[in-house]
Amino acid sequence: MPNGATFADAYPTQARHIRAAFWASFLSLGVGAFFGLIQALHRTDILRVIESQTYYTVLTAHGVFLVISFTIFFLVGVFQWAVTDSLERPPVDMRFTWGWYGLMSLGASLTAFAILAGFTDSIDVRANVLFTFYAPLQAHPLFYVGLVVFVVGTWLAGADWFRSWLAWKGDNPGERIPLPTFMVLTTMIMWYISSIGVAVAILAFILPWSLELTGSLNPTLTRTLFWYFGHPVVYFWLLPAYLLWYILLPKLAGGRLFSDPLARVVFILFVLLSTPVGIHHQYLDPGISEGFKFIAMTNTMFLLLPSLLTAFTIIASMEHGARQRGGEGYFNWLTALPWRDPAFTGMALAGMVFAFGGFTGIVNAGMNINYLVHNTLWVPGHIHTQVGTAAALTFMAGAYWLVPQLTGNRLVGRGLALVQVVLWFVGIVFMTNSMYRGGLVGIPRRTAEPQYEGFEYEVAAGSVGELNAQLAIGGTILFVSAMLFLALMVLTAFNGGTEPIDDGSIPPALSGPEDSPAVLDNLKLWVAIAAVLVVIAYSFPLASIVSRGGLFGPDIGPIPVAIDAASTVARTALEAVSAVVR
Amino acid sequence: MRIHQYERVWLLASMVLIVGFIATITYGAVGLGITMVDDRGATIAPDEINEDERFGDPRVEQVGDDEYEVYAVAMTFAFQPDPIEIPADSEVTFYVTSRDVIHSFYVVGTNTNTMVIPGEISVVTVEFDEPGEYGLICTEYCGAAHHEMEGQLAVLEDEEFDLTELEVEAPDEVEPDGEIEITATVTNGQLEAIEETVTVELGDETLEESVTVEGDESESVTLTVDAADLGEGDHDWTASAGDLTESGTVSVVEGSEDDTEGGDDA
Repeated sequence: MPNGATFADAYPTQARHIRAAFWASFLSLGVGAFFGLIQALHRTDILRVIESQTYYTVLTAHGVFLVISFTIFFLVGVFQWAVTDSLERPPVDMRFTWGWYGLMSLGASLTAFAILAGFTDSIDVRANVLFTFYAPLQAHPLFYVGLVVFVVGTWLAGADWFRSWLAWKGDNPGERIPLPTFMVLTTMIMWYISSIGVAVAILAFILPWSLELTGSLNPTLTRTLFWYFGHPVVYFWLLPAYLLWYILLPKLAGGRLFSDPLARVVFILFVLLSTPVGIHHQYLDPGISEGFKFIAMTNTMFLLLPSLLTAFTIIASMEHGARQRGGEGYFNWLTALPWRDPAFTGMALAGMVFAFGGFTGIVNAGMNINYLVHNTLWVPGHIHTQVGTAAALTFMAGAYWLVPQLTGNRLVGRGLALVQVVLWFVGIVFMTNSMYRGGLVGIPRRTAEPQYEGFEYEVAAGSVGELNAQLAIGGTILFVSAMLFLALMVLTAFNGGTEPIDDGSIPPALSGPEDSPAVLDNLKLWVAIAAVLVVIAYSFPLASIVSRGGLFGPDIGPIPVAIDAASTVARTALEAVSAVVR
Repeated sequence: MRIHQYERVWLLASMVLIVGFIATITYGAVGLGITMVDDRGATIAPDEINEDERFGDPRVEQVGDDEYEVYAVAMTFAFQPDPIEIPADSEVTFYVTSRDVIHSFYVVGTNTNTMVIPGEISVVTVEFDEPGEYGLICTEYCGAAHHEMEGQLAVLEDEEFDLTELEVEAPDEVEPDGEIEITATVTNGQLEAIEETVTVELGDETLEESVTVEGDESESVTLTVDAADLGEGDHDWTASAGDLTESGTVSVVEGSEDDTEGGDDA
C-alpha cells in the first residue's frame, strides 16, 4: 500500500465490502444490546415490559445476534482487511467475495426471522431455543437452515482467503506468510475443524428431525456435537481481537510488536487445542465418563498457555511503545501511553478485563469446583468479560481506527469515543461483579425470574437487592455505551471531505519471522496434529454416547418451543394430580 | 527459534502454573474423592419411566445404615417427588432422569448440581451435614415456564427423619345393618424395625395398639364397629401412627336397591 494512502484509497472495492460486513455487524450489535437491556431490567424485576415467557425469545435473540452475527460479521471484515492489507493484493475474484457475504447475510436473516417471529402470534414460527438450541427443544426449521447457510458463508470466506494466499505464494515463492494472514489462515483452520461438529449436529440430526424426516434423536449426542463446536467458537470470537492486539495495539501504543515468532506459536496452539476441550462444558452431564472429562480438563488448562503468552507479548509491546514515547521507570512508562486515544484505551481496558475473566475461566475449567458455578449467573459473568468485553470492546476500539481507514473519513467525536470505551468498562465492571457474586450464591443463569418461592439466596456480603441494582445499572450503562458507539460510527460514515489522522501503516515486529523456524508456517502439519488430537479426545466419547443412547436416540419425541398452550395444560394437569395425591 | 530471556522465564512460569492447576484438580478428584457425574447411571427411555421399578414411583429409599437412594424425575416444569426429604449426615445418592427435555437438578448454594438429560440417569452422591430446607431448581432452560420449575429438598435431623407411611382403608358408605372396618397400615421404609402406637378412632370407639414394624415391612391394625351402634348419619374417623394422621368420614345410610345389588359387589 502506498505511503500516506488509506485502505479505502488503495482498495476501494474491498473497502466497500468490508464496510458492508461492519454494518451487518453493527446492526446486530444495536439490536442485541437492546435485548440485553430488556433482560437486565427484567430478571432483576426492576422493569418488566414483556411477559416472562417472552423473555426466552429475547434471550435467544440476544445470544444469536451478538455472538453469531455481531462477532462473526466483524471477524470477516477484519480478516478481509488483514489479508488484503498484509498480502497487498485484492481477492482473486471479487464476485466470490460478495457471494459469501451474501450467503452469510441470507443465513443471518433467515435465523433472525425465525427468532423474531416469536414476538408475534400471527406468524406460526418460533425459535426460542436459546443460542445453544439443545434438542429435544425444537425450533422452526428456518432457524437451523439459516445457521447452516451462515456457516457455509464463513467456510467460503475462509476458502477465499486461502485462495488469496495461494495466489500470493505463487508470486512470492519461499517467503514467510505475513503475520496478519498467518493469523487469519490458522483461525480459519480452527474454524473448519470445529464447525464440522455443529454442521453434523444440524444436518444429520436436528434439521431432519425438525422436518419430521426422522422421529427422534439422541440429546446427549447433539449436545456433545454442539460443544465440540461450542468451545472453539469462543476463540473464533476472540481471535480477531487477538489479531488486533498483536497487529494494531503495538502501533497505537507508539511501538512495534515484541515478537512475531511467538505470535505464530500462539495461533498454532489455538489450532491444536481449541477443539479437543469442548467436553469441559459437559462436566455435569450424565453418560460421559470421568476419564473423558479429565482429558478435556487437562487440554483446557494447556489452552491457558497461548493466552498467557499473549499477555506477555501485548504488555511488552505496550511498554516498548511507551518507552519510544519517552516513558521511563519500572511502572512510570504506563503514563506515557496514549490514553487519550479511544482505540488504544479501549483495547487496553479490554485486555485487562480479559485477564481477569481468564482467571474466572479457570474456575469453570476446574472439573470439581465447576459444580459450584455450573449454570449459575457466574457463567454469563465470565461470558460478558470475555466475548462481551475482550472481544466486543476490542472490536469497537478497533473500529475507531479501522473505520476511518475503510471510509477515508476522520473519526467523529474522538473525545466521546474515549467516553464510550470507558463507559463500557465501567458498565461491565458493575454488571459482571453482580453476576460473578450472584453465581456464587447460586442465582441461576438463563431465567426470566430468578426469584423463587421456597427459599432465599444467602448472600454473605451485600444483598440480592444490591446485586440486582448493580446488574441493572451495569446493563444500562452498557446499552448507552453501545448506542454511543453506533452513533459515532454513523456520523463517521457521513463525515465526507475529511481524512483519517493515521496513515494506516503497520510497523514490522521487533523480532521478525526470520527469528522463527519455517516449520511454523507448515499449515498442513498443524492441521494433521490438530486432527489427531481431536480424534483422541472425541472418538471414544462419541462412540460411547452412540452405543448408550443410539444414533437416533431412545425414541424421544420433539418438544417444540411453541408449547405455550400445551405447557399450560400440562402444568394444570400436573397441579390437579398433585392436589389429588395430597 | 529466538525467544527473549524474559519471555522464556514467563513461559516457564506459565507452564508451572498450568501443571499446578491440573495437579490440584487431580488431587481433588483422587485424593479428596470428589467424584464427577459420569456414565455409571444406566440409560432409560423417557416413555419407559412410568413402568420403571425405580422411577415409576419417585421416592426416597434406605439401602444401608445411613445410606439412602432418591429416585427423582424432572419434567416440564416440576420435580418428583416434591419435597424430597432426606436425613442429615447420611450418604444420599440421587438418581435423576428426565421425562422430556434437558433439565438440571441443582440444590441452590451447594455443589449438588447435575444436568438431567432425557435417556440418561444422572447419579450424584452427597452428604448434607446441615439440616434445613434447600431450594431445588432447574438451571437449564426447558421451556416457557422454566423459571417456575422449583422443588424443595428438606434435610432433616436424624431423629426427625423416617420413611414411615400410614395408609388407611375405610368404606365410604355402610348399610345400617352392616359392619364398618377401618384398617390402618403402617409401612416402614427404613431398614431398622420401628415401634409405633397406632390409634384408630370412630365415634366413641377407640383402638390403640403398639406394633413393631420390621424394616421394609408393614403392619395393619383393624377396628371393627357395628354400624347399628353408630346410627344413621355421617361419622368421622381418624387414624394415627406417630405424627402421621389420616382422617375421613363414613356414612351409615339405607342404601337403594341398586347400591346393594348393583355394581359395587360385582
